Amino acid sequence: MQKTRPFHRRKVVVIFFGCAAALCGLGGRLGHLMVADSEYYAALAQDLHERERDIKAARGRILDRNGVVLADNRTVCTVSVIHSQIKEPERVIEVLAKELSLEEETVRKRVEKVSSIERVKKNVEKEIGDRIRNYNLAGVKVDEDYRRYYPYDDMASKVLGFTGSDNQGIIGLEVEYEEELSGEPGKILTLTDARGVELENTGESRLEPVAGNDLVISLDYNIQEYAQQAALKVMEQKQADSVSIIILNPMNGEIYAMTNVPEFNLNEPFTLLPGYSEKEGQDALNKMWRNGCINDTYEPGSTFKVITAAAGLEAGVVSLTDQFSCPGFKIVEDRRIRCARVSGHGGENFVQATQNSCNPVFIEVGLRLGVDRYFSYFEQFGLKNKTGIDLPGEAATIMHKKENVGQVELATISFGQSFQITPIQLATTVSSIINGGKRITPHFGVQVKENDGTLLKVFQYEEGKQIVSEETSETMRYLLEQVVDGGGGKNAYIEGYRIGGKTATSETLPRSANKYISSFLGFTPANEPKVLGLCIINNPQGVYYGGTIAAPVIREMFENILPYLGIEKTEETVTEVPG
Amino acid sequence: MQRKPGKPDGFLLAAVLFLVVFGLVVLYSMSAYNGQVRFHDAAFYFKKQLFAMVLGLAVMYGISSLDYHILMRFAVPAYLVSLVLSGAVLLFGDAYNGSRRWLSIGPLSFQPAEYAKPAVVLLMAGVVSQMDRKKSGRLIGAVLLMVLPVVGLVGTNNLSTAVIILGIAVIMIFISNPRYLPFLWILLMGTGFLGIFLSLEQYRLERLAIWRNPELYEKGYQTMQGLYAIGSGGLFGRGLGNSLQKLGFVPEAQNDMIFAVICEELGFFGALLLMLLFFLLLWRFMVIATHAPDLFGSLIAAGIMGHIAIQVILNIAVVTNTIPNTGITLPFISYGGTSVLFLLAEMGLALSVSRHCHYPGRG
Repeated sequence: MQKTRPFHRRKVVVIFFGCAAALCGLGGRLGHLMVADSEYYAALAQDLHERERDIKAARGRILDRNGVVLADNRTVCTVSVIHSQIKEPERVIEVLAKELSLEEETVRKRVEKVSSIERVKKNVEKEIGDRIRNYNLAGVKVDEDYRRYYPYDDMASKVLGFTGSDNQGIIGLEVEYEEELSGEPGKILTLTDARGVELENTGESRLEPVAGNDLVISLDYNIQEYAQQAALKVMEQKQADSVSIIILNPMNGEIYAMTNVPEFNLNEPFTLLPGYSEKEGQDALNKMWRNGCINDTYEPGSTFKVITAAAGLEAGVVSLTDQFSCPGFKIVEDRRIRCARVSGHGGENFVQATQNSCNPVFIEVGLRLGVDRYFSYFEQFGLKNKTGIDLPGEAATIMHKKENVGQVELATISFGQSFQITPIQLATTVSSIINGGKRITPHFGVQVKENDGTLLKVFQYEEGKQIVSEETSETMRYLLEQVVDGGGGKNAYIEGYRIGGKTATSETLPRSANKYISSFLGFTPANEPKVLGLCIINNPQGVYYGGTIAAPVIREMFENILPYLGIEKTEETVTEVPG
Repeated sequence: MQRKPGKPDGFLLAAVLFLVVFGLVVLYSMSAYNGQVRFHDAAFYFKKQLFAMVLGLAVMYGISSLDYHILMRFAVPAYLVSLVLSGAVLLFGDAYNGSRRWLSIGPLSFQPAEYAKPAVVLLMAGVVSQMDRKKSGRLIGAVLLMVLPVVGLVGTNNLSTAVIILGIAVIMIFISNPRYLPFLWILLMGTGFLGIFLSLEQYRLERLAIWRNPELYEKGYQTMQGLYAIGSGGLFGRGLGNSLQKLGFVPEAQNDMIFAVICEELGFFGALLLMLLFFLLLWRFMVIATHAPDLFGSLIAAGIMGHIAIQVILNIAVVTNTIPNTGITLPFISYGGTSVLFLLAEMGLALSVSRHCHYPGRG
């Protein structure tokens, strides 16, 4: 047998040091990974192990001007099962099937499915959730959650809007004030193994949700309720397609009521009302959710004569005492434009012409102003822009291009035809003309409060431009009061109240369809307006004159809400002619 | 001139016992989750490993009490047995994870590849030390040829182990031969051969690409998970038992990637400590090899040193993504009964040699 020779020993030592060098190198590599790159890999690993669960924040409520809760949250529960923690599967199936009134088969499928967590049912009433929790079943999890709840179902549905499954606003004020209402969702961070099973005893870090803030709006529950009832009543009586009513404070733009019947149930916003076709799907839903007062435009017709009159008076091209003669038509260029009364109104002054809603007179005023001046007033009154109402989707005015407007177009514009504006634009502009001449911003949002009522924010609406002089404004109030006092708006008259207003009846396009829009715009007290109402009836059957069917609606509204608003009857009914 | 055998190397014995205990503790920690998930028994892997360890310690004690010269006679037969077993596993083996590597005898299963390692060490030490001194230079090549059959058989379904066996053989031949230059050529040729070998098959090239950018490939998953584990260990680790990566993220945390999870739980210092322990082990093998009374003993100790060194270095290199991924276990720590059993048998061999060592300074 060979002896170990020196070179053998040397070579063993060479191998040993070779290995030692390799180990040192790996030690260095390890140090690099574990010290220098440690943070990088640790962060990646943390990402991998952590599971984030959101905790919904309670959404802020929506309150009316008197604190009536219009949109609230209800606690609902989500019942889930965690497969790996279930100890008595049969009992779990039996209890869940009974309490959740589900088929035993359905529950069994969920319970026996091998998954980290399986949801059995969402939106379970809190009572039931509590009851299930009291069984103390291993592996059954009851999580509390919030769900938007609207106590008055279809009350102001198109204004309030509703929320989606993540409690985010979908339409209406819920969208517009999302930031105030939504709050900050919280988070539960838990560590899990590779299968996603949460680890016990590793502790969970919890980021508490911040509840959203309450929104106080100018809407008045009672007035809204009256408005909806009145609108529904006239819609049924006249078998109309839809009826819109806006009630607002013409001095500051606070909207008391806004309805478009038929309204839909906010607690079931995806259930189509009768009359909407299932086949249209999302289109039908969008139609149902549309707020006609702001999303749609229409030809205002005679109510727009208020604007023509104000422009004429402001420019000084007409005065109340100017005399006119109406033969029943007016010839503009090559067109013969008819008056509503074919036989003509004969001789009349401007006050009488307004009472009569006489087209030829208003055409005359429009022509006296001329295209340039008419357009400059149109812009000055704020009709070209949107009103800036705090609701999403406000439609813009559809108006002729100035360079395309000839005498004939100007004539039609003067009595409110051949262009379109939104109902809210009309109500806002007329409010601004009669309130002393200051343009207002119509709005709902008034205040933001914390849940406990602490005031956080008061919304400020800039004081608008002076669009007409105070004198013109006063004259307009007088003029419009005369319309109700014995003019075309006499059906809006209420004994003891000073009411101003203007009626309108317009034919929709195409004219051949013989469809009409009847409307009435009224305000009171005429000397010091505190409330303005606009009622628009879409496609009424039978009698369609605004003065006959729309004016009584506003009268009824006023009869009901004036005492409620604390607006007293006045003894004085005769006023002096101003100016 | 046979001297009366003395005591076994205490240092080596202490290091081995420490590794065995450390390995068991760590293995329990690493495998508890997988055991619970798959077999509803957190101690499933631990119990099997404990059994192998106990058996192995008994074998180690038995072998260490033998005079290792007796084994000279068994060198060739033991090697032939390993050939038979390695052949048999190809025909009758049990597949697990797609590879036929296990032979079952009743309830016990056995991995012939693990047995082949000490068999080759013994064969090489026996043959080389018996050779005529003058001819030995020329016969070296022939010795290498003797090992190739087992390398081929094992390599059929377990390339990594075949490479380890070949590595052990090359190291032992390197030690047996006084020259250096030919080995440099072998090294260069081996590198070149490896390059050709890798580029022959697309999937091997892909493996290289994965190695360079593991985060970009789905198959780099295991490597990335290992790096996550190592990186999240930091200096002091999460503490024993607190690894998150072993919870199914690092696949089979108790096997090849166990070092990564040790890094995560025990930190940089814990990992260095373990590496130091292996270093001590290698140092003792070197001391035994250089002080053995004859070439047979020297080569046995040197072969064992080569075996442990190759596995430790390659395993840590793979786990730290220093080289492309290949399945090599960490001696004494990774789960595997056969591996532990034969490792301990090898320790027994080294201890037996150490009993005959002559330390000039100590008389």
